[in-house]
Amino acid sequence: MIDKKTIADPTTHYGSPRAATRHFMVQRLTGMANVLFLIFFVWFVVRLAGAERAEMVAVVGHPLVALVLAALVVSVVLHMRIGMREIIEDYIGEGRVNRFSLLCNDIFALGVALLALGSIAKIVFWG
Amino acid sequence: MAMSIMHRITGVAQYVGTLLLVAWLLAAALGETQLAAVNGFFGSWLGQVILFGYTWSLFHHMLGGLRYFTWDFILAFEPRGRETIVRLQVLGSVTLTLLAWALFVWM
Repeated sequence: MIDKKTIADPTTHYGSPRAATRHFMVQRLTGMANVLFLIFFVWFVVRLAGAERAEMVAVVGHPLVALVLAALVVSVVLHMRIGMREIIEDYIGEGRVNRFSLLCNDIFALGVALLALGSIAKIVFWG
Repeated sequence: MAMSIMHRITGVAQYVGTLLLVAWLLAAALGETQLAAVNGFFGSWLGQVILFGYTWSLFHHMLGGLRYFTWDFILAFEPRGRETIVRLQVLGSVTLTLLAWALFVWM
């Protein structure tokens, strides 16, 4: 049974003992940022939906668009990693499956970030 | 409680949905043929249904986030306020989704 005492006691390792407070703050800060990023994202999708490659390269290749898009990717990935961690911590009991799930979550988040940022970099620097 | 679960479900949907953005950007980086394939999928009826659901999911999760920020400051936290804010969220997410698609896709 998880109650206030369990959560307040660091030896129960409920949540990450090293990073729980940081996760709490990062989740709220990236959440606020993502509200703004969503407005940008709507513009981005409407501007480029179904566009030819040349047009995508022209828009994504613009330094400001590329920087905002890259920042969006970082903010979204941080937010979704912490969100999924919280779900795993809540629904999957302590043990190997829990640790394996957290590992898969980290790999997925890292993969999404690297692929998205790599693609943006390719478009910006090599067209 | 149902809305708390919805926040998680829409969150997980967007977690998987990041693959849509990754596919799009990766295809654009790789070349014409890959981009045409991804655009073809997004343009298909299945792709459109997924993107429509994704749009609603994004707006719903975003408004849900604003609701949690409101509650972080103990505003609209009493029973009546809670009910109102949740109704506003559902109404808002549906309205924003229909508005976005009406303005940018259907018109």
